[in-house]
Amino acid sequence: MRKLKASIWKEILLVLHDKVGLLLMYLMPLLLVFIITIVQNSAFQIVNENKLTVLISNRDNGPLGDSLVKALVYSGSFDIKQNNKLSESAVKRTTIDEDAMLGIYIPSNFSERLASNADNISKLMLEQMGVIEEAPRVTPKKQEIAIYFDPVVQENFRISVNNGIQAITNGIENEEMVGKLFQEMGYDSIPSNIRQAIINRETKLKIANASLSDVAELIPNSSQHNVPAWSIFAMFFMVISLGGNIVKERLSGSFLRLQTIPKGFALTLVSKFLVYLFVALSQLLLLFLMGIYIFPHIGLPQLAMPNAFLPFLVVTLLSALSAISYAVLVGTYAKTQEQANGFGAISIIIFAAIGGIWVPNFVMPDYMQAIGNISPLKWCLEGYYTLFLKNGAWSELIGTITFLFLFTVICQILIFIKLRIQNYI
Amino acid sequence: MPETLLHVSKVYKSYGKSAVPSLAGIDFTIAKGEIVGIFGPNGAGKTTLISILCSILEPTLGSVVYHLEGEKSPREIRNKLGFVPQDFSFFPELTAKQNLSYFGNLYNLKKEDLEQKIDDLLQKVGLFHVKNQKVSTFSGGMKRRLNLIISLLHDPSVLFLDEPTVGVDVQSKIAIMSLLQELNRQGTTIIYTSHHLKEAEEFCNQIILIDHGKIIASETLTNLLREHEVGNLEELILKLTGTLLRD
Repeated sequence: MRKLKASIWKEILLVLHDKVGLLLMYLMPLLLVFIITIVQNSAFQIVNENKLTVLISNRDNGPLGDSLVKALVYSGSFDIKQNNKLSESAVKRTTIDEDAMLGIYIPSNFSERLASNADNISKLMLEQMGVIEEAPRVTPKKQEIAIYFDPVVQENFRISVNNGIQAITNGIENEEMVGKLFQEMGYDSIPSNIRQAIINRETKLKIANASLSDVAELIPNSSQHNVPAWSIFAMFFMVISLGGNIVKERLSGSFLRLQTIPKGFALTLVSKFLVYLFVALSQLLLLFLMGIYIFPHIGLPQLAMPNAFLPFLVVTLLSALSAISYAVLVGTYAKTQEQANGFGAISIIIFAAIGGIWVPNFVMPDYMQAIGNISPLKWCLEGYYTLFLKNGAWSELIGTITFLFLFTVICQILIFIKLRIQNYI
Repeated sequence: MPETLLHVSKVYKSYGKSAVPSLAGIDFTIAKGEIVGIFGPNGAGKTTLISILCSILEPTLGSVVYHLEGEKSPREIRNKLGFVPQDFSFFPELTAKQNLSYFGNLYNLKKEDLEQKIDDLLQKVGLFHVKNQKVSTFSGGMKRRLNLIISLLHDPSVLFLDEPTVGVDVQSKIAIMSLLQELNRQGTTIIYTSHHLKEAEEFCNQIILIDHGKIIASETLTNLLREHEVGNLEELILKLTGTLLRD
């Protein structure tokens, strides 16, 4: 036992002396989680909570242009800057100067065209119902509202804004059409009970998150996504410290001396595993504590821990063992410290990219998703997403647990083969 | 008749699929208390032989038998061997004392004995005053002395040294050689390689000369010089191995 204690103490001293390694293992993930969560949270708030500044020039000669502007104000999603003097080309030019995310130009014939189309459709409907004999055949004129986006606005954001404006104009057009129908039938305007029914017709959407369990719902947010994802990245990045440390000891001759001491080499490997297991678990603890206790104080969503604690513990341990085994594997096969650091870092970045740490795996093409299955980070992340976002438990974690276990075993076998060839064990 | 310590019989060693073995049938015997120098050109098989003798490598064929009192199992025998590699085999980030303490514990030495031993050894090689300094701050000579005493913590009966004085100043060299002579007087058998042939001439009482994986001479230095009619060890090696450059 004294031998093991001495080995562990030596490893602890080496870790504490490795200042760069400590920064990479503890400070880098803290900064990554902190910065990326803030950035993603801000993007989320811009889209979902903040009002978008819209520059509008309403050149419509009729009343429907105003209806559109009022509907945009009423939606609560837009901060309207209206300047009806602007021509379409001026809107295009001025949108960026006015710090607006988009500019909308409503043409002078907007009401006229919209009313004309509504009139045509209502007459065709009345003809179909036999109320009038023959409706005039008029080609519908397309509405043209020009929307100019700030070039920095991303495509998915443009689509959602377009859909919102389209829904508002559809509503105006529908109301106008129903009005025309009643006019043709001899009413001055739409009866109030029907107007109210039109207003109330919207389908109510009950929006909630899918969950694998009925226990308290975990709300997906930037913290639930980023803290587990970057914790995994940090764990695997220990390849720089541990992999480099193994190469250094091997090249310095320490391993050679250990070969002459009974059980010396085996004890060194065991103590490295134990110390770096502690490092990995302490990294996770630090990042999770930051998510739970510090994030709420700086306006970020609080990290909610999964309800299934034992599965969480098993996934965490297997993730840590996979990371350590991979680092030892790189350290065992690398010929120089530079090779271990370079290959180790690049391989982890590639594993992270194909494993969905930066961009979710499901948005990747099928072949990339298939390639992503070889990344241990993908399976760690899958396990954590099952626990942190989907409220899953054992049955949903079989794939993750199996892969991480096999990955660890394969790494250990490869380490054993290499060390056996080199006569270390 | 001196007591036999080590008997090496028909030792062969080849690596992988290499057609040429590193060692091709090595036989010799070493008596207790001797200082044996193993010499030969680069690639002759010296490092492979020493690695086999101190159980880092296993021979492909042949046997290495130690006759150590009470030590029967390979583990017990290993505990009686000390190896000083040519490379600095310690942790430069740690202090001298932390290094010695770590390796001493791996030899399972009792805490009080170990502390006493560490202090004694540090005193002997003049490193006591820097025992709490990081080894990375040491000069080459200080590192070489530390490299030596790490291997002495467990009082080995047989000490293997691979170039123990390479790259050190004359003061460190004297300190190292004096300590080795003192150990030998106390009964430690020393097996040693070096390219400092003048130093080896003064230090060794037995010479083993190997080339191409075979022993080409094994005797006391005096007998070898007389037999081959040469004046010193360097002339002997050149006469027996030639002047052709080796890779």
